[in-house]
Formats: sequence, C-alpha cells, structure tokens
Amino acid sequence: MDALSYFFIPWINLDLLALVAIGTFAGIYVGAIPGLSVTMAVSILISFTFSWEVYPALCLMVGIYMGGVYGGSRTAILLNIPGAPSAIATALDGYPLAQQGKAGEAIGLSTTMSFVGGLIGIGVLAVAAPAVSEFALKFQPRDYLLLAVLGLLLVGSLSGESLLKGLFCGALGLLIGTVGLDPLTAQERFTFGVVELWGGVSFIAVMIGMFGVAEALIQLRHVDTTPVKQKISRIVPTWGAIRKHLPLSLQTSSIGVIIGALPGTGGDIAALMAYDHAKRVTKNPKVPFGKGAEEGLVAPETANNAAVGGAFIPMITLGIPGDAVTAIIIGALFIHGLNPGPMLMIDKPDMFWFITGALFLANIFMLIFGLTGIRIFTKIVEAPRAVLIPMILMLSIVGAYAVNNSLTDVYFMLGFGVLGYFMKVYGYQVGPVILGVILSRLIDENWRRAIISDQESLGLLMKGIATSPLSLVLFLAVLMIFFTQTPFWARIKAKAKAKSKAGKP
Amino acid sequence: MNRDHTRKPGEAIFALILAAISLVALWQAYGISGFEALSAPGSFPMAVAAIMFVSALMIAIKTLRAAPAGGGFIYGVVPPFAALMAFLLLLYAVALVPLGFLPTSLIFLTISIMALHKRGFVRAFGISLVSLVVIYIVFRLVFTVLMPEGIVPEREILAFFRNLMAGGAE
Repeated sequence: MDALSYFFIPWINLDLLALVAIGTFAGIYVGAIPGLSVTMAVSILISFTFSWEVYPALCLMVGIYMGGVYGGSRTAILLNIPGAPSAIATALDGYPLAQQGKAGEAIGLSTTMSFVGGLIGIGVLAVAAPAVSEFALKFQPRDYLLLAVLGLLLVGSLSGESLLKGLFCGALGLLIGTVGLDPLTAQERFTFGVVELWGGVSFIAVMIGMFGVAEALIQLRHVDTTPVKQKISRIVPTWGAIRKHLPLSLQTSSIGVIIGALPGTGGDIAALMAYDHAKRVTKNPKVPFGKGAEEGLVAPETANNAAVGGAFIPMITLGIPGDAVTAIIIGALFIHGLNPGPMLMIDKPDMFWFITGALFLANIFMLIFGLTGIRIFTKIVEAPRAVLIPMILMLSIVGAYAVNNSLTDVYFMLGFGVLGYFMKVYGYQVGPVILGVILSRLIDENWRRAIISDQESLGLLMKGIATSPLSLVLFLAVLMIFFTQTPFWARIKAKAKAKSKAGKP
Repeated sequence: MNRDHTRKPGEAIFALILAAISLVALWQAYGISGFEALSAPGSFPMAVAAIMFVSALMIAIKTLRAAPAGGGFIYGVVPPFAALMAFLLLLYAVALVPLGFLPTSLIFLTISIMALHKRGFVRAFGISLVSLVVIYIVFRLVFTVLMPEGIVPEREILAFFRNLMAGGAE
C-alpha cells in the first residue's frame, strides 16, 4: 500500500524528524512548567506554523501534544503541582514517592509507562481509525449532530464543577462559531454590519486569548511562588519493575485509548479512571494508594498517553475533537486546507499514516528526552515566572497577529483573554468554549441537513432517530449524560442510597 | 454538583453581564431569520443563544443566592499585577504596528520584567534583550513569521548581514 509508506516520512526526512524532536522537547518542558499547559503551548505555537507546509506543521504539533501530556507528570511528581490536567492523578502517588526520596525512580517509571501507553494508543489508532472511518461513512447528518452534542456535553459536564457553567461555555463557543456569513445561504449572522466580521471571529484569536493570555494572567496571581528543588537519583527503571507493572499498564492503556477515543473526553478523565481501576484491581499494594504506590503512578501515566492515540481517532475519522488540544489541531488542519472526517481517510490516507508515524516517533523521543536531561530540566522549571509570563504574553500577541497580519485579530484575542480570565476566576471552563467554536459549523450544517431531509419536521427527525440503532444509542447517551448531571438525578441517587441503607438490618 | 456555595467578589455581576449579553445575542439571532423555518440560518444561533441565556440566568440566580466570600475585588479577583499586565498588553498591541515588533517588544518586556521580577532597569533590559534575540531568531528567521517592522529598517539590516556572510564566504 502506497499510503502506508507515509508512516516513515517523518522518520527519514531529517527536517521533519528534527521538528518532531523539537516539538516533543518543547512539549515536555512546557508541560512541566506549572501553569504552562500543553493547550497553551499548542495554541500559541500553532499560530506560527500557518505559513508552513502541512507536514512540518503537523510534526511540530504532534510532538508538542505527545510531550506535553507526559511533561505534566514531572511537576506532579516533584512539586505536587500537575503541569497539565492529565497529570492530576499522577500527583496522588507520585508526590509521596518524591517525598520519600524516590523522585528519580518515579520519573523513570512514569516515563517508561507513558511510552508503553503511548505505544498502545498509537497501535489502536492505526488499526481502529480506518475501520471507524469506513463505518463513519454510513453516518447520517443527525448522527454527526448527536455525536457533536455528545462530545460538547461530555466536556462541559466532566471538566467543570457545574453543568450549567459547562452548558453556558459550550453554547458560547457555538455562538462565536456562528459569527460571519452563513456558509449555506451567505446571510449575515452577528456581523453588526462590520465587513471584517464576514469571515467570522478568528478561531486563533479565541484560542490564544483563552488559553494563552487568560492563563498567563491567572498565573500572575501567584507569580511569587518559587519552585521547590529536589534531588534526583537513579532514573532508568529496572527491567523487573517494568515487567511487574506490565499487566496493569496494558489494562490501563486500554482504558486510556477508549476514554480518549470518546468524543469530548481526553487524557485527564482517562487518567483518573485508570487510577480508580488500579485501586480496585491491585489487591495487596506494597505501599497503600495515596502514600506512594507505584501502581498509582503507572495507571494514570499509561492511560493519559494512551489517550493521545485514542483522541486522534474521532478527530481524524469524524472531525470531532476528543479534547481541547485536538480541537486546536482540528482548527489548524482546517486552516491548512484539510478536512478531518471520514473523507480524509479516503482522499488523503497518506495524511493519516503520516500523523501516525509522527506520533510514533514523538513517543520514542518522549522516552529519550524523558530519561535524559534531568539537569536542564530542573533549570528550566526553575526559570522565574516573572520572566516567562511577559514572554508568553508577547508571543500571544505576535502569534495572533501573525496568522492574518491583522490587528483586528489581536484585539479580539485580547478581548477573549480578558473574558477568559474572568471566566477562569469564577469557575467557568474555557475548554468547552474552544470545542464549541470548532464544532459550531459541524452542528449547524448537520442540523440543517438532517431537518431538511426530514421535511422540516421534528416528528420525522425523532422517528428517524428511533428507527436507527446508531442514532438511538447516541440520542440515549446524550439524554443520559444530561440527566445524570441534573439535580433530579442527585436526588434520585440520594433517595436510593437512603433506601438501601434503611433496607439493611 | 455545585460545590462552592460562596460567591467571589464580582461573581454575581459577571453572571448578570453574561445573561445580559446572551439576551442581546438571542434578540440578534431572532433578527437573522425569525421563526421562518427549522432549517433557517437563524435557527441554530437562536437555539444556542437561548441555551446561553437560560443557563446564564440560572447561574446568576444561584450565585446571587450564595453567601458572599470574603476578600475585595482588587486582591481576590483582579490583583494589581494582572491589571497592570493587561493594560501593558493593550499598549503593546496599539504600538505594535507603528513602532514595529522589535522596539515595542523590548520596551514591553523590560517594563514588565522590572515590575514582576522586581529587578533594576539594567538587569531587566539585559534579560529582555537576550530573550528577544532568541525569540527573533527562532520565530522571524527560523519560523519565518512576518512581524511588523515599524521604525526599524529590519530588511536592510538583514540584507546587510546576509551580504556580510556572503562576502565572508567568498
């Protein structure tokens, strides 16, 4: 097969190889600096790659993503501050390990296990994506509609503390996505007569504003906290340790891939679920969970890196992002003229194999950089935030400007930065906003296609959903997720609990 | 579901502003095509704006009911540093095109590092200059990102260096 050979393009082309390496390296270190998230790195750096060819841009993005998910574990272990949301579970046992003076072992183990997880995730991606995309060709517009709503609901309800806030944020993103000329009828929507708005609000402006500027401003609230220094000893884990944890890591990797592949759920949830799984299946841990159990480190680290490969499945085959980072990558692919969805696999299978190859390579670089360069690492993490934050802010402005060489984007970016700042302070999640912006067009178009094909009748649409197994499953999933987040459900659960307690003698 | 039962300073006002914005959006969305058809260009924006409005309103009600948490708006929500940086960013954006990337960035970095890092002018200027050179090399020369030139004749300077290198190579 010709397309398959593209798997090796990033391996043999030295420029691309170097870009994957640079991306992974940058991802690890950005992910490791508390407060600098992988989403922030991807959103700012991506804006600089728009003038590039697709391949080099993809190499850099893939590297940053892979490295960033792993990098978050470093600070989780060393400082008890997860560098990324996907490393929250890592801190639970990683930090106690570091406190016991086993920081080196913990880092070594988490690195190797991240590699194992990443490998399995990529393997599943390579096998499953072609099959899923073939299946996805049979999807009706209403299925896309339901799937996108499902993803948005999942992100909205799982990432924040309140469903209402999640709903608002998702809807806000969808609304921002509708600004401009309607793609079907060219009617103006929310343009207020301003010609600059005809093309819509730049997705880059929203993204850099919310993930770059807002995040950096939030970080200013604790600019004075200095990182703690830790001595790191042995880092490469023993073969025995790896073999001992291999069975668990295979299980948690599968959890990671599946959770990552669900639209709307990413590495953070995968890691927490894997941690929970490890707690249940590990009968007699040497050290109790939460006190430095190695299993508690292995589980989330395999799962969050396995989720990277998993998250690419819905992204490539359906055009539906698995999390905020894949949402950004989808946006970048759009700008590069690619259209993620089932047709991508048919029209450009080479692109799919190229991405898979780059991911595989990034995984290897992650292992190499993870097990070496501890000295540089501690230096970089100790870089004062008072110097880093102004630079991030500066790059945010330049990045927003660079995409279209327009100041309008910069002002939009600043506006979204301030909005994002207040949203974060008051507990609104910005992830659903960016997902909403990306999914807006997909939902709008598929809604209209679905309802037109059903002669503008909601009844016929519902009948169509009820008679198609796939649509029905998706519809029920949407209902279930929505319902389980409402206060009614909490009340029912509380009642059931009270009953079962009363029933017990 | 909603774990925080206290409200931060300004939180209720923020929620009310969001509700007001949603209402304006809903009205604007209605203006696109009204209730013409389910597939009309305005139907999706209207549905979305309605969700925004209802959820923002419910958030506002919940927030208003919650007991206020301590702490002032200035220190709890917008610390002086954040406000200062936001203001500096705005100035940076305004000056970027007329002055050009290099001088604006240098001034911005120096002032903000002086303020945040609490270092003297010379130290802050030095850090800024070094980082700016690195950023310039990475983004302008390696990534070939175009940045506004402003008052610095960048192209002439780059051409001069290129000539110098070419001359040296001969």
